[in-house]
Amino acid sequence: MDTTQFEIWVMDYLSGELDEASIQRFEKFLTDNEEYQKQFDVLLSSWEQLNALEVPEPSEKMDTQFFEMLSNATEKNDKIPWYKKLQMGIRQGMDSLVQSKLAYGALVLILGLTLGYFFRNGATEVDASSEMASTSETKQVREKLVLTLLEQPSANQRLQGVSEANKFEKVDDKVVNALLKTLNNDPNVNVRLAAIESLIKYVDNPLVREGLVQSIVKQESPILQVTLANLMVALQEKKSIEPFRKLMRTKELDTTVIQQIERSIETII
Amino acid sequence: MQALTDNALMLKVKSGDLNTLGLLYERHKKRLFGFFYNMNSNPSLSEDLVQNVFVRILKYKHTYTGEGSFTAWMFRMARNVNYDHFKKNKNNRETNDLSSISFKLQDSKDTNSEQDRKDVISTVQRAMNLLPPEKREVLVLSKYKEMKFSEIGEILGCSEGAAKVKAHRALKDLRTVFMQLEKR
Repeated sequence: MDTTQFEIWVMDYLSGELDEASIQRFEKFLTDNEEYQKQFDVLLSSWEQLNALEVPEPSEKMDTQFFEMLSNATEKNDKIPWYKKLQMGIRQGMDSLVQSKLAYGALVLILGLTLGYFFRNGATEVDASSEMASTSETKQVREKLVLTLLEQPSANQRLQGVSEANKFEKVDDKVVNALLKTLNNDPNVNVRLAAIESLIKYVDNPLVREGLVQSIVKQESPILQVTLANLMVALQEKKSIEPFRKLMRTKELDTTVIQQIERSIETII
Repeated sequence: MQALTDNALMLKVKSGDLNTLGLLYERHKKRLFGFFYNMNSNPSLSEDLVQNVFVRILKYKHTYTGEGSFTAWMFRMARNVNYDHFKKNKNNRETNDLSSISFKLQDSKDTNSEQDRKDVISTVQRAMNLLPPEKREVLVLSKYKEMKFSEIGEILGCSEGAAKVKAHRALKDLRTVFMQLEKR
Protein backbone atom coordinates (compact mmCIF):
# COMPACT_ATOMS: atom_id res chain seq x y z
CA MET A 1 0.00 0.00 0.00
CA ASP A 2 1.08 3.55 -0.80
CA THR A 3 2.44 5.37 2.31
CA THR A 4 0.25 8.45 1.85
CA GLN A 5 -2.81 6.27 1.43
CA PHE A 6 -2.01 4.48 4.68
CA GLU A 7 -1.40 7.78 6.51
CA ILE A 8 -4.80 9.08 5.42
CA TRP A 9 -6.50 5.82 6.35
CA VAL A 10 -4.97 5.85 9.86
CA MET A 11 -6.14 9.42 10.50
CA ASP A 12 -9.65 8.55 9.25
CA TYR A 13 -9.70 5.66 11.69
CA LEU A 14 -8.31 7.59 14.67
CA SER A 15 -10.56 10.60 14.20
CA GLY A 16 -13.66 8.42 13.90
CA GLU A 17 -14.47 9.43 10.34
CA LEU A 18 -14.87 5.81 9.14
CA ASP A 19 -18.16 3.91 9.00
CA GLU A 20 -18.56 0.47 10.57
CA ALA A 21 -17.69 -1.50 7.41
CA SER A 22 -14.57 0.61 6.77
CA ILE A 23 -13.45 0.16 10.38
CA GLN A 24 -13.64 -3.61 10.00
CA ARG A 25 -11.73 -3.46 6.71
CA PHE A 26 -9.03 -1.33 8.31
CA GLU A 27 -8.67 -3.61 11.34
CA LYS A 28 -8.46 -6.68 9.09
CA PHE A 29 -5.78 -4.97 7.03
CA LEU A 30 -3.74 -4.38 10.20
CA THR A 31 -4.14 -8.00 11.33
CA ASP A 32 -2.94 -9.22 7.93
CA ASN A 33 0.04 -6.82 7.81
CA GLU A 34 2.21 -6.99 10.87
CA GLU A 35 4.49 -4.14 9.81
CA TYR A 36 1.57 -1.71 9.44
CA GLN A 37 0.13 -2.99 12.71
CA LYS A 38 3.35 -2.01 14.51
CA GLN A 39 3.34 1.46 12.95
CA PHE A 40 -0.28 1.89 13.90
CA ASP A 41 0.21 0.80 17.53
CA VAL A 42 2.92 3.42 18.03
CA LEU A 43 0.70 6.13 16.58
CA LEU A 44 -2.32 5.01 18.57
CA SER A 45 -0.50 5.49 21.86
CA SER A 46 0.59 8.99 20.78
CA TRP A 47 -2.97 9.79 19.73
CA GLU A 48 -4.28 8.68 23.12
CA GLN A 49 -1.65 10.77 24.90
CA LEU A 50 -2.53 13.76 22.77
CA ASN A 51 -6.18 13.40 23.72
CA ALA A 52 -5.27 13.15 27.39
CA LEU A 53 -3.69 16.62 27.35
CA GLU A 54 -5.53 18.76 29.84
CA VAL A 55 -6.68 22.33 29.39
CA PRO A 56 -7.59 24.49 32.41
CA GLU A 57 -10.80 26.51 32.49
CA PRO A 58 -10.44 30.11 31.34
CA SER A 59 -10.90 32.66 34.14
CA GLU A 60 -13.84 35.03 34.61
CA LYS A 61 -11.50 37.86 33.67
CA MET A 62 -11.68 36.65 30.08
CA ASP A 63 -15.49 37.08 30.05
CA THR A 64 -15.26 40.53 31.65
CA GLN A 65 -12.71 41.70 29.11
CA PHE A 66 -14.75 40.35 26.23
CA PHE A 67 -18.02 41.97 27.31
CA GLU A 68 -16.25 45.28 27.96
CA MET A 69 -14.81 45.16 24.47
CA LEU A 70 -18.24 44.27 23.05
CA SER A 71 -20.01 47.07 24.89
CA ASN A 72 -17.42 49.59 23.67
CA ALA A 73 -17.87 48.34 20.12
CA THR A 74 -21.68 48.48 20.42
CA GLU A 75 -21.55 52.02 21.79
CA LYS A 76 -19.32 53.12 18.92
CA ASN A 77 -21.60 51.38 16.42
CA ASP A 78 -24.67 53.15 17.84
CA LYS A 79 -23.02 56.49 17.08
CA ILE A 80 -22.82 55.75 13.35
CA PRO A 81 -25.38 58.05 11.60
CA TRP A 82 -28.58 56.30 10.40
CA TYR A 83 -27.93 57.11 6.72
CA LYS A 84 -24.55 55.37 6.87
CA LYS A 85 -26.13 52.30 8.46
CA LEU A 86 -28.78 52.35 5.72
CA GLN A 87 -26.07 52.55 3.07
CA MET A 88 -24.24 49.62 4.67
CA GLY A 89 -27.46 47.61 4.84
CA ILE A 90 -28.28 48.22 1.18
CA ARG A 91 -24.76 47.28 0.14
CA GLN A 92 -24.89 44.06 2.16
CA GLY A 93 -28.35 43.28 0.77
CA MET A 94 -27.04 43.66 -2.78
CA ASP A 95 -24.01 41.50 -1.98
CA SER A 96 -26.07 38.69 -0.57
CA LEU A 97 -28.53 38.88 -3.49
CA VAL A 98 -25.72 38.33 -5.95
CA GLN A 99 -24.11 35.65 -3.82
CA SER A 100 -27.23 33.68 -3.17
CA LYS A 101 -27.65 32.85 -6.88
CA LEU A 102 -31.32 33.49 -7.43
CA ALA A 103 -32.07 30.35 -9.41
CA TYR A 104 -30.71 28.13 -6.69
CA GLY A 105 -32.69 30.11 -4.13
CA ALA A 106 -35.91 29.62 -6.04
CA LEU A 107 -35.30 25.88 -6.24
CA VAL A 108 -34.68 25.65 -2.52
CA LEU A 109 -37.80 27.71 -1.88
CA ILE A 110 -39.99 25.38 -3.93
CA LEU A 111 -38.43 22.34 -2.27
CA GLY A 112 -38.87 23.95 1.14
CA LEU A 113 -42.54 24.77 0.51
CA THR A 114 -43.23 21.22 -0.65
CA LEU A 115 -41.48 19.65 2.32
CA GLY A 116 -43.09 22.20 4.61
CA TYR A 117 -46.52 21.17 3.37
CA PHE A 118 -45.88 17.51 4.18
CA PHE A 119 -44.07 17.95 7.49
CA ARG A 120 -45.98 20.93 8.77
CA ASN A 121 -46.85 19.55 12.23
CA GLY A 122 -43.42 18.05 12.95
CA ALA A 123 -41.65 21.19 11.87
CA THR A 124 -43.75 23.36 14.15
CA GLU A 125 -42.63 21.33 17.16
CA VAL A 126 -38.97 21.53 16.16
CA ASP A 127 -39.27 25.29 15.57
CA ALA A 128 -40.84 25.83 18.97
CA SER A 129 -38.15 23.95 20.87
CA SER A 130 -35.39 25.58 18.78
CA GLU A 131 -36.87 28.95 19.59
CA MET A 132 -36.80 28.11 23.31
CA ALA A 133 -33.15 27.01 23.20
CA SER A 134 -32.22 30.15 21.33
CA THR A 135 -34.12 32.37 23.78
CA SER A 136 -32.44 30.87 26.83
CA GLU A 137 -29.00 31.20 25.22
CA THR A 138 -29.68 34.84 24.33
CA LYS A 139 -30.91 35.48 27.87
CA GLN A 140 -27.70 34.15 29.40
CA VAL A 141 -25.55 36.29 27.14
CA ARG A 142 -27.72 39.36 27.79
CA GLU A 143 -27.37 38.81 31.55
CA LYS A 144 -23.60 38.79 31.25
CA LEU A 145 -23.71 41.90 29.12
CA VAL A 146 -25.96 43.74 31.62
CA LEU A 147 -23.79 42.78 34.60
CA THR A 148 -20.62 43.88 32.83
CA LEU A 149 -22.11 47.14 31.55
CA LEU A 150 -23.43 48.11 34.98
CA GLU A 151 -19.88 47.89 36.35
CA GLN A 152 -18.40 50.25 33.75
CA PRO A 153 -16.90 53.63 34.75
CA SER A 154 -18.71 55.42 31.90
CA ALA A 155 -22.26 56.58 32.75
CA ASN A 156 -23.28 56.05 29.12
CA GLN A 157 -22.31 52.43 29.28
CA ARG A 158 -24.15 51.95 32.58
CA LEU A 159 -27.24 53.51 30.97
CA GLN A 160 -26.83 51.06 28.11
CA GLY A 161 -26.66 48.26 30.69
CA VAL A 162 -29.95 49.38 32.24
CA SER A 163 -31.56 49.61 28.83
CA GLU A 164 -30.39 46.05 28.03
CA ALA A 165 -31.96 44.96 31.34
CA ASN A 166 -35.36 46.14 30.03
CA LYS A 167 -35.30 43.49 27.35
CA PHE A 168 -35.85 40.46 29.61
CA GLU A 169 -39.20 38.69 29.66
CA LYS A 170 -38.46 37.33 33.13
CA VAL A 171 -35.61 38.75 35.12
CA ASP A 172 -33.01 36.79 37.08
CA ASP A 173 -32.16 37.57 40.75
CA LYS A 174 -28.57 38.42 39.78
CA VAL A 175 -29.78 41.13 37.41
CA VAL A 176 -32.33 42.44 39.96
CA ASN A 177 -29.59 42.76 42.58
CA ALA A 178 -27.31 44.53 40.10
CA LEU A 179 -30.11 47.00 39.20
CA LEU A 180 -30.88 47.63 42.89
CA LYS A 181 -27.19 48.20 43.57
CA THR A 182 -27.18 50.73 40.72
CA LEU A 183 -30.32 52.40 42.10
CA ASN A 184 -28.74 52.77 45.55
CA ASN A 185 -25.14 53.56 44.73
CA ASP A 186 -24.68 54.88 41.21
CA PRO A 187 -23.10 58.36 41.28
CA ASN A 188 -25.17 59.48 38.28
CA VAL A 189 -28.84 60.53 38.83
CA ASN A 190 -29.87 59.63 35.29
CA VAL A 191 -28.55 56.11 35.68
CA ARG A 192 -30.37 55.74 39.01
CA LEU A 193 -33.61 57.00 37.41
CA ALA A 194 -33.19 54.59 34.51
CA ALA A 195 -32.68 51.78 37.03
CA ILE A 196 -36.05 52.60 38.65
CA GLU A 197 -37.75 52.59 35.27
CA SER A 198 -36.22 49.24 34.48
CA LEU A 199 -37.20 47.76 37.86
CA ILE A 200 -40.81 48.95 37.43
CA LYS A 201 -41.13 46.40 34.66
CA TYR A 202 -40.50 43.63 37.16
CA VAL A 203 -42.50 44.83 40.21
CA ASP A 204 -44.37 41.52 40.34
CA ASN A 205 -41.12 40.02 41.60
CA PRO A 206 -41.09 40.29 45.46
CA LEU A 207 -37.32 40.87 45.45
CA VAL A 208 -37.82 43.95 43.25
CA ARG A 209 -40.66 45.33 45.43
CA GLU A 210 -38.67 44.78 48.62
CA GLY A 211 -35.57 46.34 47.09
CA LEU A 212 -37.49 49.43 45.97
CA VAL A 213 -38.95 49.91 49.46
CA GLN A 214 -35.55 49.55 51.10
CA SER A 215 -34.07 52.00 48.62
CA ILE A 216 -36.31 54.86 49.82
CA VAL A 217 -34.11 55.82 52.80
CA LYS A 218 -30.95 55.65 50.70
CA GLN A 219 -31.94 58.30 48.16
CA GLU A 220 -30.42 61.79 48.36
CA SER A 221 -31.72 63.28 45.14
CA PRO A 222 -35.18 65.03 45.26
CA ILE A 223 -36.13 63.72 41.83
CA LEU A 224 -35.54 60.13 42.90
CA GLN A 225 -37.35 60.65 46.19
CA VAL A 226 -40.40 61.99 44.34
CA THR A 227 -40.26 59.24 41.71
CA LEU A 228 -40.19 56.57 44.40
CA ALA A 229 -43.07 58.27 46.25
CA ASN A 230 -45.20 58.27 43.08
CA LEU A 231 -44.28 54.67 42.40
CA MET A 232 -45.27 53.53 45.89
CA VAL A 233 -48.65 55.23 45.49
CA ALA A 234 -49.16 53.45 42.19
CA LEU A 235 -48.24 50.14 43.82
CA GLN A 236 -50.21 50.95 47.00
CA GLU A 237 -47.22 49.59 48.91
CA LYS A 238 -47.99 49.90 52.65
CA LYS A 239 -44.50 48.75 53.62
CA SER A 240 -43.14 52.00 52.17
CA ILE A 241 -44.83 54.25 54.78
CA GLU A 242 -42.29 53.66 57.54
CA PRO A 243 -39.24 54.19 55.29
CA PHE A 244 -40.76 57.46 54.01
CA ARG A 245 -41.35 58.65 57.58
CA LYS A 246 -37.79 57.71 58.46
CA LEU A 247 -36.55 59.60 55.40
CA MET A 248 -38.37 62.73 56.55
CA ARG A 249 -37.00 62.35 60.10
CA THR A 250 -33.38 61.70 59.19
CA LYS A 251 -32.73 63.85 56.14
CA GLU A 252 -33.16 67.49 55.32
CA LEU A 253 -35.60 67.33 52.46
CA ASP A 254 -36.79 69.87 49.95
CA THR A 255 -40.23 71.35 50.94
CA THR A 256 -41.85 70.15 47.70
CA VAL A 257 -40.55 66.67 48.34
CA ILE A 258 -41.90 66.65 51.90
CA GLN A 259 -45.34 67.72 50.64
CA GLN A 260 -45.26 65.08 47.94
CA ILE A 261 -44.27 62.34 50.40
CA GLU A 262 -46.95 63.38 52.90
CA ARG A 263 -49.58 63.27 50.14
CA SER A 264 -48.32 59.87 49.10
CA ILE A 265 -48.49 58.47 52.63
CA GLU A 266 -52.07 59.69 52.99
CA THR A 267 -53.06 58.08 49.70
CA ILE A 268 -51.46 54.77 50.62
CA ILE A 269 -53.06 54.68 54.09
CA MET B 1 -29.26 22.42 21.12
CA GLN B 2 -28.31 25.42 19.07
CA ALA B 3 -31.29 26.93 17.30
CA LEU B 4 -29.46 29.55 15.30
CA THR B 5 -26.44 28.32 13.40
CA ASP B 6 -23.09 30.03 13.88
CA ASN B 7 -23.38 31.11 10.30
CA ALA B 8 -26.72 32.87 10.87
CA LEU B 9 -25.39 34.55 14.02
CA MET B 10 -22.27 35.81 12.26
CA LEU B 11 -24.41 37.24 9.44
CA LYS B 12 -26.38 39.12 12.11
CA VAL B 13 -23.12 40.50 13.51
CA LYS B 14 -22.14 41.51 10.00
CA SER B 15 -25.42 43.38 9.51
CA GLY B 16 -24.70 45.47 12.64
CA ASP B 17 -26.30 43.46 15.46
CA LEU B 18 -23.00 43.39 17.36
CA ASN B 19 -24.45 42.00 20.60
CA THR B 20 -24.99 38.68 18.83
CA LEU B 21 -21.23 38.23 18.94
CA GLY B 22 -21.78 37.44 22.64
CA LEU B 23 -23.55 34.22 21.64
CA LEU B 24 -20.70 33.17 19.34
CA TYR B 25 -18.22 33.98 22.10
CA GLU B 26 -20.10 31.78 24.59
CA ARG B 27 -20.23 28.92 22.09
CA HIS B 28 -16.57 28.98 21.10
CA LYS B 29 -14.56 30.57 23.93
CA LYS B 30 -13.48 27.28 25.53
CA ARG B 31 -12.40 25.69 22.27
CA LEU B 32 -10.41 28.75 21.25
CA PHE B 33 -8.85 29.00 24.70
CA GLY B 34 -7.90 25.30 24.46
CA PHE B 35 -6.36 25.89 21.04
CA PHE B 36 -4.12 28.70 22.31
CA TYR B 37 -3.34 26.93 25.57
CA ASN B 38 -2.19 23.83 23.73
CA MET B 39 -0.09 26.04 21.50
CA ASN B 40 1.64 28.09 24.23
CA SER B 41 0.91 26.50 27.66
CA ASN B 42 0.24 29.95 29.08
CA PRO B 43 -3.33 30.49 30.37
CA SER B 44 -3.14 34.25 30.75
CA LEU B 45 -1.66 34.77 27.28
CA SER B 46 -4.27 32.36 25.84
CA GLU B 47 -7.08 34.48 27.32
CA ASP B 48 -5.63 37.60 25.71
CA LEU B 49 -5.35 35.85 22.36
CA VAL B 50 -8.99 34.69 22.54
CA GLN B 51 -9.92 38.34 23.06
CA ASN B 52 -7.81 39.32 20.04
CA VAL B 53 -9.66 36.81 17.86
CA PHE B 54 -13.02 38.41 18.68
CA VAL B 55 -11.64 41.91 18.17
CA ARG B 56 -10.49 40.75 14.76
CA ILE B 57 -13.85 39.15 13.99
CA LEU B 58 -15.50 42.51 14.61
CA LYS B 59 -12.92 44.34 12.56
CA TYR B 60 -13.21 42.00 9.59
CA LYS B 61 -16.91 41.15 9.86
CA HIS B 62 -17.52 42.71 6.44
CA THR B 63 -15.35 39.99 4.86
CA TYR B 64 -17.59 37.19 6.14
CA THR B 65 -19.55 35.75 3.24
CA GLY B 66 -21.42 32.96 5.00
CA GLU B 67 -19.94 30.39 2.65
CA GLY B 68 -18.03 27.53 4.27
CA SER B 69 -17.99 26.87 7.97
CA PHE B 70 -17.89 29.67 10.55
CA THR B 71 -15.58 27.56 12.73
CA ALA B 72 -13.03 27.31 9.94
CA TRP B 73 -13.22 31.09 9.35
CA MET B 74 -12.80 31.76 13.07
CA PHE B 75 -9.86 29.37 13.44
CA ARG B 76 -8.14 30.96 10.44
CA MET B 77 -8.31 34.23 12.41
CA ALA B 78 -7.03 32.40 15.51
CA ARG B 79 -4.04 31.08 13.56
CA ASN B 80 -3.21 34.56 12.31
CA VAL B 81 -3.54 36.00 15.82
CA ASN B 82 -1.20 33.31 17.14
CA TYR B 83 1.25 33.82 14.29
CA ASP B 84 1.28 37.61 14.72
CA HIS B 85 1.81 37.33 18.44
CA PHE B 86 4.83 35.07 18.12
CA LYS B 87 6.25 37.09 15.26
CA LYS B 88 6.14 40.18 17.49
CA ASN B 89 7.65 38.31 20.44
CA LYS B 90 10.19 36.23 18.54
CA ASN B 91 12.94 36.71 21.11
CA ASN B 92 10.65 36.33 24.03
CA ARG B 93 8.78 33.05 23.57
CA GLU B 94 6.34 32.69 26.38
CA THR B 95 6.12 29.06 27.30
CA ASN B 96 5.32 28.08 30.79
CA ASP B 97 7.20 25.00 31.84
CA LEU B 98 6.89 26.09 35.45
CA SER B 99 3.23 25.14 35.46
CA SER B 100 4.08 21.50 34.85
CA ILE B 101 6.74 21.55 37.59
CA SER B 102 4.43 22.97 40.23
CA PHE B 103 1.78 20.56 39.00
CA LYS B 104 4.14 17.68 39.88
CA LEU B 105 5.03 19.09 43.28
CA GLN B 106 1.54 19.68 44.54
CA ASP B 107 0.46 16.15 43.77
CA SER B 108 3.12 14.30 45.71
CA LYS B 109 0.49 12.35 47.65
CA ASP B 110 -0.98 10.77 44.54
CA THR B 111 -0.82 7.07 43.98
CA ASN B 112 1.98 5.82 41.75
CA SER B 113 -0.19 5.07 38.75
CA GLU B 114 -1.88 8.45 38.92
CA GLN B 115 1.51 10.10 39.26
CA ASP B 116 2.79 8.09 36.25
CA ARG B 117 -0.17 9.25 34.18
CA LYS B 118 0.49 12.86 35.12
CA ASP B 119 4.19 12.46 34.31
CA VAL B 120 3.28 11.15 30.86
CA ILE B 121 0.88 14.04 30.23
CA SER B 122 3.52 16.50 31.34
CA THR B 123 6.09 14.93 28.98
CA VAL B 124 3.59 14.98 26.09
CA GLN B 125 2.98 18.67 26.76
CA ARG B 126 6.72 19.33 26.71
CA ALA B 127 7.06 17.32 23.52
CA MET B 128 4.24 19.39 21.99
CA ASN B 129 6.06 22.60 22.93
CA LEU B 130 9.17 21.35 21.14
CA LEU B 131 7.35 20.67 17.87
CA PRO B 132 7.36 23.38 15.18
CA PRO B 133 4.18 25.54 15.50
CA GLU B 134 2.62 24.26 12.25
CA LYS B 135 2.84 20.65 13.48
CA ARG B 136 1.54 21.55 16.93
CA GLU B 137 -1.33 23.40 15.30
CA VAL B 138 -2.53 20.52 13.15
CA LEU B 139 -2.41 18.18 16.16
CA VAL B 140 -4.38 20.56 18.36
CA LEU B 141 -7.03 20.95 15.66
CA SER B 142 -7.34 17.18 15.07
CA LYS B 143 -7.83 16.70 18.82
CA TYR B 144 -11.26 18.35 18.60
CA LYS B 145 -13.74 15.57 18.03
CA GLU B 146 -16.35 17.85 16.56
CA MET B 147 -14.01 19.16 13.88
CA LYS B 148 -13.82 17.25 10.61
CA PHE B 149 -10.66 17.06 8.55
CA SER B 150 -12.46 18.88 5.75
CA GLU B 151 -12.69 21.88 8.13
CA ILE B 152 -9.09 21.48 9.26
CA GLY B 153 -8.09 21.56 5.59
CA GLU B 154 -10.15 24.76 5.17
CA ILE B 155 -8.35 26.32 8.16
CA LEU B 156 -4.89 25.28 7.00
CA GLY B 157 -5.55 26.21 3.40
CA CYS B 158 -5.01 22.71 2.00
CA SER B 159 -7.08 19.73 0.87
CA GLU B 160 -8.72 17.32 3.31
CA GLY B 161 -6.26 14.58 2.33
CA ALA B 162 -3.26 16.85 2.82
CA ALA B 163 -4.56 17.82 6.28
CA LYS B 164 -4.76 14.13 7.24
CA VAL B 165 -1.22 13.48 5.99
CA LYS B 166 0.06 16.53 7.93
CA ALA B 167 -1.67 15.30 11.09
CA HIS B 168 -0.27 11.80 10.67
CA ARG B 169 3.29 13.06 10.22
CA ALA B 170 2.99 15.51 13.11
CA LEU B 171 1.78 12.67 15.31
CA LYS B 172 4.81 10.61 14.30
CA ASP B 173 7.11 13.53 15.14
CA LEU B 174 5.39 13.98 18.48
CA ARG B 175 6.14 10.34 19.22
CA THR B 176 9.83 10.80 18.32
CA VAL B 177 10.23 13.88 20.54
CA PHE B 178 8.33 12.18 23.35
CA MET B 179 10.65 9.14 23.22
CA GLN B 180 13.71 11.40 23.26
CA LEU B 181 12.41 13.19 26.37
CA GLU B 182 11.63 9.87 28.08
CA LYS B 183 15.19 8.69 27.54
CA ARG B 184 16.68 11.72 29.32
